[in-house]
Amino acid sequence: MFSLCTPFQRRAATILVVMQIIAAHALAAGGSDKSATPKTDIAALLQVQSDVQKLLPQVRLALVAIQTGGGTASGVIISADGLLLTAAHVPGAPGKDMRVILEDGSVTTAKSLGMDKTTDAALAQLKKREKPWPFVKLNREVANAQPGEWCFALGHPGGFDKARGPVLRVGKIVKQTANSLHTDCVLMGGDSGGPLFNFTGEVIGIHSQIWENRDQNVHVSMAPFLRSWDAMQKSEVIKTWGIGAGGYLGVATVMSDDVELAVADVIEGSPAQKAGVRAGDVILSVNGDAMTDQQQFTATVRARAAGDTLKIKLRNDGKERELSVQLAQKPQEEGQ
Amino acid sequence: MTNEEFRMTSEAPNPNNEQRAAPSVGAISSFGLRHSFVIPSFFIRHSASLLLLSPLLVLAEAPRPTLPLEQRTNGKQTLAAVEKLKPLTTACAARIESALGRAICAATIVGEDGYVLFKASEVPDLGKARIKFGDGRTTELREVHRETSLDLVMAQAVGITGLRAVSFGAARPLAMGHWLCSVADAGKEPRIGIVSAKIRRIPGTGAALGIRMDEKTPEGAKGVRIIGIASESPAEIAGLQENDVLLAIASKNVAQYREVHDIVNKRQPGEIVEIRYLRKNKEETCRVRLASRTKVLQNWEGEDFANGGISLRTDNFPEVLQHDIPLLPTDMGGPVATLEGKVVGINIARVDRVTTFALPVEAFWTEAQQWMQADRHPPKAVRAE
Repeated sequence: MFSLCTPFQRRAATILVVMQIIAAHALAAGGSDKSATPKTDIAALLQVQSDVQKLLPQVRLALVAIQTGGGTASGVIISADGLLLTAAHVPGAPGKDMRVILEDGSVTTAKSLGMDKTTDAALAQLKKREKPWPFVKLNREVANAQPGEWCFALGHPGGFDKARGPVLRVGKIVKQTANSLHTDCVLMGGDSGGPLFNFTGEVIGIHSQIWENRDQNVHVSMAPFLRSWDAMQKSEVIKTWGIGAGGYLGVATVMSDDVELAVADVIEGSPAQKAGVRAGDVILSVNGDAMTDQQQFTATVRARAAGDTLKIKLRNDGKERELSVQLAQKPQEEGQ
Repeated sequence: MTNEEFRMTSEAPNPNNEQRAAPSVGAISSFGLRHSFVIPSFFIRHSASLLLLSPLLVLAEAPRPTLPLEQRTNGKQTLAAVEKLKPLTTACAARIESALGRAICAATIVGEDGYVLFKASEVPDLGKARIKFGDGRTTELREVHRETSLDLVMAQAVGITGLRAVSFGAARPLAMGHWLCSVADAGKEPRIGIVSAKIRRIPGTGAALGIRMDEKTPEGAKGVRIIGIASESPAEIAGLQENDVLLAIASKNVAQYREVHDIVNKRQPGEIVEIRYLRKNKEETCRVRLASRTKVLQNWEGEDFANGGISLRTDNFPEVLQHDIPLLPTDMGGPVATLEGKVVGINIARVDRVTTFALPVEAFWTEAQQWMQADRHPPKAVRAE
């Protein structure tokens, strides 16, 4: 139950960075940001309506209903060869066969690939077919999405209903966190895994959870999808920090007075300690990529599965050294 | 027979319903996160000790820009857009309330001389309700026509004239994504949303009590024992309890669950049936207002996905316009208009968190005009003044 909440807490460090980006963006955008205009008029609403109605015939073709043993959900096709985005809690594990119903009611199958259980992002692959699948593009600059911007949601709430078809919701972005978008597009069971679109018709989020109020609808943003893309395509599972295979190294970092990434502490018995990482080491690079801040380092480590080997370049007392560290699984008792 | 076997034969869903019901149940695990806010402190401590031990992390979740309430889709600033539609929407709505002033539902004004339409199943007895208009005038209601197939009732507000009737426009041509404006708070406040799915017929699933039954009764009493009650179901609201033994429903004796099922299922949601039952060897009676089977099924687990409840009758409509306007069951009966102020339907059922049904104008207006005309000019007219 709580595992779905942990991401919100866990990414506190990343959150601040995104905040700075948002702040910078808001400054750059200045007063031109229409969504911030205090009063809406009928013309503005009609513009929203005409935009949605223009995009809908195309984007709805990429929406699918997904049926697993445990219930029904939604998903969205994002490539001609049938790559599918959904929520991690829909398949629950890689390699699961799922029944998929397309917008026109035709039925096919898909197999789940990898997933990031920390954020509820998952990939699946539709059965190969000769004809290209209808698909929508995903948005790669979701961090720029601002509270107040209009968006729209599609899904199959309550399950696939042929007489009804997909259900549309139009609303606004209420807030953005490092991994999620909150909107007032009202969702319910069965919508899980369905797409949230911006007004260029790109997917910006995947429906994930609801809280009690009608304005509290949470979508996984494209950020974790893009971050974990390679791992998910390889059918890897990124689990919660505590329990996870998502790269347990066992060091605590701090930004030094010289604004370098330094090791503050090494956890007893961790892969880092076994490899010889010491408190006070400055982390220069991982697998050849220069490390400049904590977020980058965290993301780099987290993107690797347990068992992967990292080459870490360190400096201490002016002397550089390179270590190989094999990432481990975080011990369960510490995770819970 | 065990209780479990009886479950299969009581008011458990038929195979078709089961398919409909299963998805929402299956999804509860992920969507039922009512208390997601509550994050135990050990997670915070834990995350800080893992890989990053930085002052940044200790701050936990930093504040993020959140869209103020007034700027949201149904916030004040957005609703300013439909302010000028008020004479065509909220001004054409009224509130149906109980004698004590509790909101029952909304009403749509269709005749200057007091004719209104509202949701029939919410108001089975007009003698116990009254109507309150936007200008504060409150009066009794006289039933003109009750149309169960549409779940609509036409009534006349006694002694009221000079009302503003709605102006109707076509609903069927509206495509998904078309803005709609409706009224909340029993007719006072505007709310907006969009046409969210295809116009279509909603088949009926029959009425239900919300009980599980067993024919084995204590001391050979001839009846049907209640072994389970759905939360917020008609049975629970009427005060029925587990182990009560049903003796008669609507004056018909019952000894088998099939008989209970047959009597209840033939009736419409919103209808009231009298139940005679045995509790602790004492005979008692109660009146139960039946609900849609779909409503009862949604509530077996006590999960309210609708935020504010759903209507008693949510199905068996010849045609509905589905929209995503955030409304409550007490808002049903009010008008739904386009941004041009043309009323295209009357809200008829709050179904779940994402769904409200409105009867499109095409489904009732031709008939409703006839009810009104026949009432205004009856063969032997005695006008209520």
